[in-house]
Amino acid sequence: MQDYPLLLLIWLLPLFGAVLLWAFGPQLKTWAGPIGSALVGVPFIAALTLWGAATTGTGAHQTLFAWLPQFVFGLQLDRISLVWTMIITGVGFLIHVYSIGYMAGEKAFARFFAYLNFFIFAMLTLVLSDNFVGMLVGWGLVGLASYLLIGYYFERPTAVAASKKAFVINVVGDIGILYAVFVIVAKIGAIGYGDVFAHIAKFSPGELFAVCLGLFIGCAAKSAQVPLHTWLPDAMEGPTPVSALIHAATMVTAGVYLIARCAPLWNASSDARVLVGSIGALTALTGAILGCAQWDIKRILAYSTMSQIGYMIMGVGVGAYDAGILHFLTHAFFKAQLFLGAGIIIHNLANQQDVRLMGGLRKKMPFAFAAMTIGVLSICGIPGFSGYFSKDAVLNGTLAHGHPVMWAVGVLTAGLTAYYMFRMLFVTFLGAYRGDVDPSELGLRHPELAGTANPHAADDEHGHGHAHAPAWLMSGPVALLMIPTVLIGWLDFGGESSPWGQFFAPVFGKFEPVAGTLPDGLTGLIVFVLIAAGFTVAYMRYGNPQALLDAIPRLRAETVRMPSALTHAFYFDAAIDALFVKPSIALGGFFSRVIDPHVIDAGVREASISANWLGHLFRSFQTGLVRAYALALAFGAACFAIYYVWIGAGR
Amino acid sequence: MNAPVEAYIIVAAILFFIGVVGVIARRNPLIQLMSIELLFNSANLALVTFARSWANNAGHIFAFLVITVAAAEAAIGLAIVVIVFRKTTFVDVDEVATLKG
Repeated sequence: MQDYPLLLLIWLLPLFGAVLLWAFGPQLKTWAGPIGSALVGVPFIAALTLWGAATTGTGAHQTLFAWLPQFVFGLQLDRISLVWTMIITGVGFLIHVYSIGYMAGEKAFARFFAYLNFFIFAMLTLVLSDNFVGMLVGWGLVGLASYLLIGYYFERPTAVAASKKAFVINVVGDIGILYAVFVIVAKIGAIGYGDVFAHIAKFSPGELFAVCLGLFIGCAAKSAQVPLHTWLPDAMEGPTPVSALIHAATMVTAGVYLIARCAPLWNASSDARVLVGSIGALTALTGAILGCAQWDIKRILAYSTMSQIGYMIMGVGVGAYDAGILHFLTHAFFKAQLFLGAGIIIHNLANQQDVRLMGGLRKKMPFAFAAMTIGVLSICGIPGFSGYFSKDAVLNGTLAHGHPVMWAVGVLTAGLTAYYMFRMLFVTFLGAYRGDVDPSELGLRHPELAGTANPHAADDEHGHGHAHAPAWLMSGPVALLMIPTVLIGWLDFGGESSPWGQFFAPVFGKFEPVAGTLPDGLTGLIVFVLIAAGFTVAYMRYGNPQALLDAIPRLRAETVRMPSALTHAFYFDAAIDALFVKPSIALGGFFSRVIDPHVIDAGVREASISANWLGHLFRSFQTGLVRAYALALAFGAACFAIYYVWIGAGR
Repeated sequence: MNAPVEAYIIVAAILFFIGVVGVIARRNPLIQLMSIELLFNSANLALVTFARSWANNAGHIFAFLVITVAAAEAAIGLAIVVIVFRKTTFVDVDEVATLKG
């Protein structure tokens, strides 16, 4: 097999950048941003040059080293990892450039870019590895990068709590994957993807389901699937570019990657397909419902991310792999665009994230308005925009694979998506500016009623708004992202004969739809009707001229009357708290109050006490009286004499 | 001269008993040292008796060894007694109990 050392360059340049920026950050000062960006841009170009090699046969491959004779580590750039590598380095590069503007004036400017480069390296490890163990290493490292970046503002307790939560939940997922890898190694004795997929017949159906389940637990944690999704909204504590790159475009789609990568496993286990598809559909719906109740612009986007990943997982879960990956591709662009657009707003409003305190920004920030509008149109799936093609492909895929219930949930979610995204758009950009309104008029003074009111809005002292980098640094990447946000979906125009269908035909093979599919375009029509309905409701509630006039009392009323199930995100946090956190703390308390003092400490204490007691006992023999010793000696001698004379003599 | 072996052994036993009682019952260290000499010599008597009766010279040799050890013991014992007497001005082994635990 021919080796491609260029893969090493793609893989290691971001790591080099991370080390460089970490070690010499204070010396590099503002150069950290351009250097960090370049070290992500070069791998993007390098990956482009490997396009031909990646799309022939099993793709470009580079052997690294043999851990054991049968456990060989290597890098592999094939069609699946090519898509991810393009997005990771391409969108990653744009977000790096954007961050130069967004993070200008931060105290730890270089540290941010070091983390960001480290994330790129970790994510490339995940997608370029040609085996399960290397993938798992990358899987863990992206969790670490995510932890570091969510906790970037480590002086803020909420950020620290959010980063811990994200890390712990992700480690739960890592354990699931580790378990799956153990089963794979035990049954097949190999870790390379190709070797494992060639011997799937060695698994019994139960073992196959166990492997899929273990892998999916990892995917659910990383990709924020119910019930392991609770970390994602909290992860918005990180800087906005991080939310765009890690918690929207790339890292959270690692679950989609893994399932697509392990397509042979899922093809062989229909139970796993039903499980993953159902969880995906449930997540899509849950995220959309919760997205309707948020006031923090980043949390709205976070729940929409969760919902959209639900679509992707549903797509790859039921077996429509190319549709799921297409939705990943389009989502990476339009969600990055939405987050970066929101970042422009947040940046210019001195870290205000509460949409109730925005309003009327259309005139103040026309560029952000345009960017967000295009993003919203795309995520909703307006025909012609890229989101339309991918959402349509996923929904048709679920139906073609015989899951009408998931299809229905997905269609319903599309309507909800339109509602909450247009709600965000209207509240943020239309009407009059409410930033100078007393928050209590909006019902914000009651934290328990306000729900997700941003607790760290205007009193932030991170230097935003003081040092301004050139505006094009932030608007340029957003403008570039507009092109794929609108157009990338056209790759799928024409179904199987489209460039996208052709691209993945060699990987996932040809698929015969089961009976009961809808005629072409009917799904699109139904979805369009629901989108129109969602748009209309949002318009009636937030967008029409009358609603805009009395926006303040309306928002106040909505804030106060928000059902508590929604403000508490369906009590997932409370349930996890009650089921796992509280029992763990209780168990820990039991050990610290009972086992530790009364068993472990007591054991040590009793050992020392008994040594002391023995000492006292023997001490009383030590009288210091020579005659007493002599008596004891004589007595002992007498005993010997008696033994030998009377008892010993008898033998 | 040809008394039976038992007679010698009985004498040795009596001597040994007197010696033991002397060591245990008396508190004067000089008396105790003398009692220890009695113990040594009762042992010597027994050794020599058996050596003669079994015509085995090992017993004689052991007797000489015991006499040597006894001399050394007396020298060290008397030296200790003298030192203790210098320090305390009384001669009573029960008062010398500084090693009490």
